[in-house]
Amino acid sequence: MGEQPVDRDTVSEIQEFMFREALALDERRFRDWLAMLTDDIRYEAPLRVIREGLAVWDLSPTSRIFDDDRQTLEVRIQRLETDFAWAEQPPSQTRHFVTNVLADPGDNPDEYKVHSNCFIYRSRGTSPTPSLYSLSRKDVVRRTEDGWRLARRWAAFDQALINAHNLSILI
Amino acid sequence: MNTKPESQSLAAWVEETREGIDSGRFPARAFNDQAVYDLEQERLFSKTWCFLAHESEIPHPGDYVTRYIGNNNLIVARDEHGEIYANLNMCRHRGNVMCKAEMGNASHFRCSYHGWTYKNSGELVGVPYMKEGYEGRLKRKDWGLVRVRVDSYEGLVFGCLDPEAPPLDEYLGGFQFYLDLYLKHGLGGVEVHGPPDHWIADTDWKICTENFAGDGYHTPVAHQWGFHLGYFPSSGSTHSQGWAVSIPGKGHGIGLGHGPNFPPFGGFPDDLVAEMKQSLSPEQVEVFSRTRTAVGSVFPNLSFLMQPFSLEPGEIGVRFVTMRLYHPVGPGRMEMYSWCLVPKNASQEYKKEAYRAYTLAFGQAGTFEQDDFENWTKVTQAAGMTMVRDVDFPYIMGMDSAPDPEFPGPGHAVVPYVNDTNFRNLWSRWADYLAGEA
Ligand code: FES
Ligand SMILES: [Fe+2]
Repeated sequence: MGEQPVDRDTVSEIQEFMFREALALDERRFRDWLAMLTDDIRYEAPLRVIREGLAVWDLSPTSRIFDDDRQTLEVRIQRLETDFAWAEQPPSQTRHFVTNVLADPGDNPDEYKVHSNCFIYRSRGTSPTPSLYSLSRKDVVRRTEDGWRLARRWAAFDQALINAHNLSILI
Repeated sequence: MNTKPESQSLAAWVEETREGIDSGRFPARAFNDQAVYDLEQERLFSKTWCFLAHESEIPHPGDYVTRYIGNNNLIVARDEHGEIYANLNMCRHRGNVMCKAEMGNASHFRCSYHGWTYKNSGELVGVPYMKEGYEGRLKRKDWGLVRVRVDSYEGLVFGCLDPEAPPLDEYLGGFQFYLDLYLKHGLGGVEVHGPPDHWIADTDWKICTENFAGDGYHTPVAHQWGFHLGYFPSSGSTHSQGWAVSIPGKGHGIGLGHGPNFPPFGGFPDDLVAEMKQSLSPEQVEVFSRTRTAVGSVFPNLSFLMQPFSLEPGEIGVRFVTMRLYHPVGPGRMEMYSWCLVPKNASQEYKKEAYRAYTLAFGQAGTFEQDDFENWTKVTQAAGMTMVRDVDFPYIMGMDSAPDPEFPGPGHAVVPYVNDTNFRNLWSRWADYLAGEA
């Protein structure tokens, strides 16, 4: 970070990619979404723990809400494609609001570290009370011959005690 | 008698419920009702041994976690000598909360209101203006944090609010034999992989306890995706094979599901199997080597599950263990704590694999967990309907099943695995407490 700012065109391409990725999730086009990931994708959400102000960590170094790679994400999507993914029948209505997108050079020439805020609205069935999730994301996106791809998703929930009976959605 | 009419009718309902359980009926109302919830707080959670923490969550002197028994928030801390204490998380001066974090490390707890200071074991050691203000009338030893009895088994720390209750050993009543599968599957015992997943759900804690006391019946339907895609090594047609074991009069129960072609101790690495043959008794080896899925509940609200999960369809996969606590926070509402336990001495590689399998299957985004909670919230919702107040559910599977005489373990073991015997035992224990007779 710091050395060379990412040029505006690249930033706006990255932004558009992030928005399209979110759109694929909200439109439940999960196969399209999978196609936006690199084969070596790491997809993780560390667990937040409420600790005293000066504690060394408040995101658990070992516990994860999501701890996925390409193979396990495929399992999740395959599951959603069966008739028995009861948690998503009827499906959640989600809306990912992706903001504050900042891009910095990554560790490899074609990669960028992308910070974004993500706010997810999720409603289920006829319930008037939605689940709301606010997350900080530190992703890595990669420019490939076939376009932009997500190489790493790291997302931390801003809440320790998640107010939802399950997390059958993607973040 | 000046009993209020409502409590009179509740007492009558409890009596009716007790009789119903004996004939295989249990009322839906139990799963979502303010009066039943209040009675549980008063008569059940104030008397049973309740799970607090695993010792590996607080390995060092000064480590603490905050946990609950019923609606009581407790600090579970390891003191400077390594002893574990549980104290009410409330200052004795005016009741301020002492520890506001979920976990941490402290040699002393200092109250942020007037500054009373306690050792992490709970003794009061510091009172500002002690001389000037209290003029010798305050005896520090009388005003320590309110202590709760603790006892442990193989790393599991339990607390009990009732000083008269029988010791933990007696309370577990032989269920230790089964707990060992989760706690001694390795010579070094087990540890938590990290802090527990933690979420809140509109589900009654009892539905979860019941499900984990051996509800093999729901698996082929609720988790059919896993069978369908081959990620779970069992099939609908053979899924009923195995034992359901309950500890009569104690409420604990476990389901031990078998698989016809499942290899002995399938899904464990070889070195761990070798260790288990030493850490477990021959009877335990005989029972557990055949077990594919072990799903059990310690009465009232602690459960365990061990099962293999495979990422390669048709393969046996890797075994993981989850421990879960269902903390009731209102009628039909609970806070879920879910841990992954791993053998302490196992290779990092196996620990990591087991944790990933756990996360994918039973963490809060777990693909099995998701569907369970979907069902459980709906059951809870239904149980809150006015019309359902007088509706009973059938608990009549295996009503006349005789215990298996060949079974080498303690308790009442019946076949098949798909059976309501454990649940009748669970609910009759629960009803004993609610009737004030336990
Ligand atoms: S309330 Fe804690 S010192 Fe007064
Ligand atoms: Fe289940």
